[in-house]
Amino acid sequence: MQFFLDRLFDGISNGAIYAALALALVMVYRATGTINFAQGEMALFTTYLAWGLTTKGVPVALCLLVAAAAGFALGAASERVLVRPIEKHSLLATLIVLLGLFSVLNASDGLIWGKGNQSMPSLFPNTLQSYVSVLGARLYWANIGVWLLVAAVVALMFGLFNGTRLGLQMRATANNRESAALAGIPVGRILMLGWGISAAIGAIAGVLFTPLTPDSLGLGEMFPLLIYASAAALFGGLDSPGGAVIGGLLLGVAEVMLSAYVPAIGGQLQEAIAFVAIVAVLLIRPQGLFGTREVERV
Amino acid sequence: MSEPNRRSAGPLLEVTGLQAGYGQAEVLHGISLSVDPGEVVVILGANGAGKTTTLRAIVGLIGRHGTVSIGGTTLRPGLPAEAVAAGLSLVPQGRGTFTKLSVAENLLVGATNRRDKAGITSDINRWYDVFPALAARTGQAAGTLSGGEQQMLAVARSLMSRPSLLLCDEPSLGLAPLVVRSVFEVLRQINEQDGTAMLIVEQNAELALDLASRVYLLEVGEVVSSGAAEELRHSDAVRRAYLGY
Repeated sequence: MQFFLDRLFDGISNGAIYAALALALVMVYRATGTINFAQGEMALFTTYLAWGLTTKGVPVALCLLVAAAAGFALGAASERVLVRPIEKHSLLATLIVLLGLFSVLNASDGLIWGKGNQSMPSLFPNTLQSYVSVLGARLYWANIGVWLLVAAVVALMFGLFNGTRLGLQMRATANNRESAALAGIPVGRILMLGWGISAAIGAIAGVLFTPLTPDSLGLGEMFPLLIYASAAALFGGLDSPGGAVIGGLLLGVAEVMLSAYVPAIGGQLQEAIAFVAIVAVLLIRPQGLFGTREVERV
Repeated sequence: MSEPNRRSAGPLLEVTGLQAGYGQAEVLHGISLSVDPGEVVVILGANGAGKTTTLRAIVGLIGRHGTVSIGGTTLRPGLPAEAVAAGLSLVPQGRGTFTKLSVAENLLVGATNRRDKAGITSDINRWYDVFPALAARTGQAAGTLSGGEQQMLAVARSLMSRPSLLLCDEPSLGLAPLVVRSVFEVLRQINEQDGTAMLIVEQNAELALDLASRVYLLEVGEVVSSGAAEELRHSDAVRRAYLGY
C-alpha cells in the first residue's frame, strides 16, 4: 500500500505538470490551430530565468511571478511577430517557424545560463523531512504545493473561459475568427493574449516541476515534457481544456504505475508510453476523450 | 447607443471609389454607392460580379482603397471592430455561426460592442420572440441548428450590436423557399420597426426587390446601373438577367 501510494503521489505530481502544459498547448491550438512545438522551450527559458534570479537571492515566489510575466511577454510577442505574419500563408510554415523558435530558445538557454545541469530551489519546503505521512507513505509538501498551484491555475482558466466576457471572446475567436472580427472583437489582441497566457502557464509549470528532481534543470529537460503534454492534450481532445487536464493526470499516473509494476518497462521505456498513448488515441478516438468532433449541419 | 453627429440630410453610408481584391487580383474597380438612413438597398449581380467582396471591403474584413464613411465619419480600412462601433454589422455569407458556442452565447458575442447588460438581455429576449426556434435551443451548440435556424441566428447575432446599417450577404443561400420568405419578412419588420437601414446582396432578386427601395447593378466589379427598385424591376435588362421572365 505504501509503495502504491508513493507512486500515486509522484504520478499525480507529474500528471499535474503534464496537465498544465497540455492546457497551454490546447490554448494555442484553439487560438491558432497549431501545436506550439516551442511550448516546452518557452517554459524552459522562463524557468532558467527564474533560476537565474534565485541565484541572485530573489525569493522563489517572486521568481515564479517574474517567470510567468516573462512567459506572457514571450508568448504574446511570438504570436505577434512570428506566427501572425506566417499563419495566413500556411500552417505547415507556422510549424516550421515554431520548430525554429524551439532551437533558438534552447540555444539561448545554453548561451546565457551554460550547459551544465542546475538544481532549482522549490517554492515549498523541500527537505527530506518535509512530508506528511499518509498510511505510511510520504506525501511531500512539494507535491501538495504543485497540486494546489496547478489546481488554482486550472480553476482560474475555467473561470476565465466560462465566466467572463473576455473568455467568451476568446472562445468565439477560437471557434470562428472571421465572425469574431465581424462582432467587433479585437481578434489580434485576443490571439496575443491567448499565446501570452499559454506561455505564462508553461512558465509556472516549469518552475513547479523542476525542483521535484535535483539537478534536473538542463537543456534537455523540457522536450520529454512536451511529448507527454502533447500526448495528454491529444488524449483529452486537442480543443478541450478539461480533457487536457484529465489527460495529463491520467498519463502522469499511468506512466509511474506502469514503470513501477511492469518490470519490462522500467525506467527506460517510460517515454514510449506517451507515444503509445498518442498512437492509440489517433487510432481509436481521433477527436480524443473530450474533444469535439465537428458536428455541424449546413 | 452613440449616434455620432448623424446628419439626417446626408446619406448614412457613403462609399466612393471602392477598390478591393484578393492578392494581385483586383475584384472591385472603383465602386461608389450610398445608403440613406432607414433605407433598404439591394445589390444585384451575377456570380463573380464582386457583391460579396463589396460588403467585405466595406466592413474592413479585407483591405481596400477608396473611402467608406458612415454618418459622415470616415472608417479606416482593415478594422472591422471600428466598423461595428460606427454602426455597421454584416450577416456574412454562410452565416458565420460560432458552431461550438451555444445559441445564447452566439447572441452575447454579437453584443461585444455593448456594455448595457439589461439592454442586451432584453434584446436577446426580443430575438427569441421573433425566432421561437432559437428560444427552444438556447443552450444547444449552434452548429447543430438547421440551416434556416442558423440564418436566423446570424441575423439576430448581427442585430445584437444595434447597428444603424445591417449588411446581408445572400441571406437566402441554401434555404428552403418558405424559410427564405420568413427571413425576408423579419428583415422587413426590423426595417420598419427600428428604422435599421439595410444593404442586401441577393440572388433572389424577386424577394430583394420587394423589400428594397433602391438597387445597384454590379457587373465585373463596377456599378453599371442604379435606380429605384420599381424602375429597375420594369427594365427589360434586369427582368431578363435577374428575374427570369
